[in-house]
Amino acid sequence: MAMIDLDKMLEKVKATQWALADIDWDAPGAELVTKEQWPQLKDFMVDLMWIEHVGARGFAAMAKKAPTETLRQLYSYFHAEEQRHANAEMALMKRWGMLEGDELPEPNINIRLVIEWLDRYADGMPYYVLGTVIPMLEVALDGALCTFLLESVNDPVCHQAFEKINDDESRHLGVGFTVMEMQGHNKTSIQMVKMMAPMLDPRLLLGIASYLPLLNKMRDNVVKMGLPEEKLYAAMNKFKRIGGRTAEGRRNPWYQFIQHHGSIMVKRSNRFYHIPVDAAVKVTGLIPRRMLPAVPSWVKELTWQPTA
Amino acid sequence: MTDTPRKTARSSAAAKKPATRKVATGKATARTAADRKTVSARRDAPAAIVTHKPAAVLIVGAGFAGLGMAIRLQQAGVTDIIILERGTDVGGTWRDNQYPGAACDIPSNLYSYSFAQNPNWSRSFSGSREILGYIHHLVKEFGLERYIRFGKNVQELKFDEKKGLWSATTAEGEVFSGRAAVMAQGPLSNASFPDMPGINEYKGHKIHSARWDHSYDFRGKKVAVIGTGASAIQIIPELVKEVEHLTVFQRTPGWVMPRPDFETPEWNKEIFRKLPFTQSALRQALYLAHESMALAVIWSSPLTRVAERVGRWHLHNQVKDRWMRRQLTPNYRIGCKRVLISNDYYPALQKPNCKLITWPIYTLCENGIRTVEGIEHQFDCIVFATGFEVSKAGTPFPVTGVGGRQLNDEWSRGAQAYKSINVAGYPNLFMTFGPNSGPGHNSALVYMESQLDYAVRGIQKILGENLKMLDVKPHVQKQYNEGIQKRLAKTNWNSGCMSWYLTEDGFNATMYPGFATQYANQMKEFREKDYLVVPG
Ligand SMILES: Cc1cc2nc3c(=O)[nH]c(=O)nc-3n(C[C@H](O)[C@H](O)[C@H](O)COP(=O)(O)OP(=O)(O)OC[C@H]3O[C@@H](n4cnc5c(N)ncnc54)[C@H](O)[C@@H]3O)c2cc1C
Ligand SMILES: [Fe+2]
Ligand SMILES: [Fe+2]
Repeated sequence: MAMIDLDKMLEKVKATQWALADIDWDAPGAELVTKEQWPQLKDFMVDLMWIEHVGARGFAAMAKKAPTETLRQLYSYFHAEEQRHANAEMALMKRWGMLEGDELPEPNINIRLVIEWLDRYADGMPYYVLGTVIPMLEVALDGALCTFLLESVNDPVCHQAFEKINDDESRHLGVGFTVMEMQGHNKTSIQMVKMMAPMLDPRLLLGIASYLPLLNKMRDNVVKMGLPEEKLYAAMNKFKRIGGRTAEGRRNPWYQFIQHHGSIMVKRSNRFYHIPVDAAVKVTGLIPRRMLPAVPSWVKELTWQPTA
Repeated sequence: MTDTPRKTARSSAAAKKPATRKVATGKATARTAADRKTVSARRDAPAAIVTHKPAAVLIVGAGFAGLGMAIRLQQAGVTDIIILERGTDVGGTWRDNQYPGAACDIPSNLYSYSFAQNPNWSRSFSGSREILGYIHHLVKEFGLERYIRFGKNVQELKFDEKKGLWSATTAEGEVFSGRAAVMAQGPLSNASFPDMPGINEYKGHKIHSARWDHSYDFRGKKVAVIGTGASAIQIIPELVKEVEHLTVFQRTPGWVMPRPDFETPEWNKEIFRKLPFTQSALRQALYLAHESMALAVIWSSPLTRVAERVGRWHLHNQVKDRWMRRQLTPNYRIGCKRVLISNDYYPALQKPNCKLITWPIYTLCENGIRTVEGIEHQFDCIVFATGFEVSKAGTPFPVTGVGGRQLNDEWSRGAQAYKSINVAGYPNLFMTFGPNSGPGHNSALVYMESQLDYAVRGIQKILGENLKMLDVKPHVQKQYNEGIQKRLAKTNWNSGCMSWYLTEDGFNATMYPGFATQYANQMKEFREKDYLVVPG
């Protein structure tokens, strides 16, 4: 993957759009989801669609920060595309009888905390922080979770949907890695250190505090579903490999930080990291729901219905 | 196909308003409209071609500009005028834009001609119909009807340098000519459905804001409005009252300022009628208030920050939901695009039967609109408030100058003119709303008035001295534009947002970078030495 031409990418993104209505959600094959799979698959899908949705909000923040008009437009599209992924995944859940009525699946507490954080602080985050965190999440999603899903679920409609989703994702990654490299480009060491300054920003620390338990919890859920841990390592290695394929990419200190963190996160044997974070998962699990503020209105835009 | 002379050409209005000054206007103006006879089709020409006798002045368009031109010419003693208008009525913008809620966003007392003030404006910002009524009143008051030829759609303007004549060929195959020509076809007069993917697949009802369909019954309908510009923010609050459900598709939010709109009480109109100077004083005050807006809107200054704060306050005050506020917050400097003025737009968006969508549209389809979040939004009717086809880099129809030169070619990288009104190589041609004459902060008519008076001076010179050509010198035009572009570089319009003011390559051929007063001052002076003069 070399650095890509962002203008051409924007053209391509515009030319390769799809809608939920392109898929026949009532086509045969739903029965191929086995009874044993069903409960874990439901948990997995709920997490997955919420992660997509949270990623969407991340792109919305990037669109406000984008240094060029082309990137601004790309991020506006990606914002909507992530929402489309969440919508399509909900449509699959509907198909598999995993939604109660028209209700949105309940987000777990960690998702709720991340949503809260994004709603309050994402727009204030520096561009390069978002620009590195998002590709890491995307690699995890694309490289590990979705591949795994396709390996274990035989429903052809699921495959049809994820073929489209993965096409979108490959473009998100292409842009994401290109931007990471652009940021490592022509920067002095002092500028690099300055890029790390937001680490001390309490808002970012708060974000990290709500984000780490989410990652751990998701990791546990997929492992419970039978995803071999090696797959997660492989995904993190992919982030490390592609993000660090050029000197510019490696020079980006946020790349260094996040790839490092990504590897620790997937390795459950690193107790130094996981004992406190897993504890945080437990603690956050104890927060009573009514203590959380109402979900922001952008969350209510999700829908599994192809037409409105 | 012939031009029937009007029976009552010397209307009472015309008789009442004799030319204020009699100038030697040459042979051409000696004839009146009444005795100007159409020359019937030349025998050797194709049957469709009908050529009319040359007039002194040929005007394209009967909107505010074309009619104002005729009034000022008439007041200067030039009455051999032909106005070619493709429509069946005068009024241009205000004839075409009859959508619900259509109104001006500059106070009526300023959005009217100073030489024809109207004491009867019903409110500070009058509606489209009232403005059209004012235009009809102008036509009657000044007896302009005799000049206007309706249903004449000009397809080409061409200069004959041997005769020193401009000729206009219409779609119907008629040729009209004049010693001088005025292009007053309007900056925002060509409206058509935008070139969006899938637009022809949509089977529901389509309406363009500037071609409103008054026969369509909106009650009980699911309706979309595409666009959130000046027209849309006027339409939305009205439509939402009528339709079952309204969905608004926004690409870029605009800066919206509060609108100080009041009804004018009867006693106030009475004062204006009895003591016209009070209305002039109000007009002057409004003028100055808008001039001061230039400081906020045109350049980045402390006032820009103040204006942005007012905009944000207005949004905060009217929109409760944080995400919706975010969707409606512009990410560019105020003034970079046209500033919007409304009190009821934000509240309308929050009505239970209204929804704002900011997902990008990727295509239209049989039943509606598909956006990138993967959902097909279905509608009975789509309203396109998508603006106009603005020729930033070209002319709306071919204009041929000296030696066959094409204005379209010369303008392909962005339009240029001298003082927005003349172009070198196109003698005796005057433009209203020409390149870099756009007001960002003040009434278009304020700018127009100074263009009209400038054109009158040029035309008087051509007719009075019987000139074949009055042509601005190329280097004068070049110098002028270098100055303009240098000043534009420092303005908000060129500060990075995309707007219809700019060409694809970001060239600003639309706006005037300065105060209306500066513009008026430059137009006050007609420097003969800037022009090449060829006697007839
Ligand atoms: C919805 C809307 C609101 C506006 N509000 C304001 C405001 O509040 N304040 C302000 O200052 N400005 C406003 N404007 C700008 C407005 O266009 C000008 O103020 C003014 O009305 C322009 O007058 P005009 O005569 O130059 O053009 P127009 O009014 O467009 O008239 C041009 C005429 O030329 C005719 N024509 C065009 N092409 C041809 C052809 N080829 N052959 C023959 N005839 C032709 C047209 O049919 C039309 O009648 C607004 C514009 C719109 C669209
Ligand atoms: Fe996604
Ligand atoms: Fe993605």
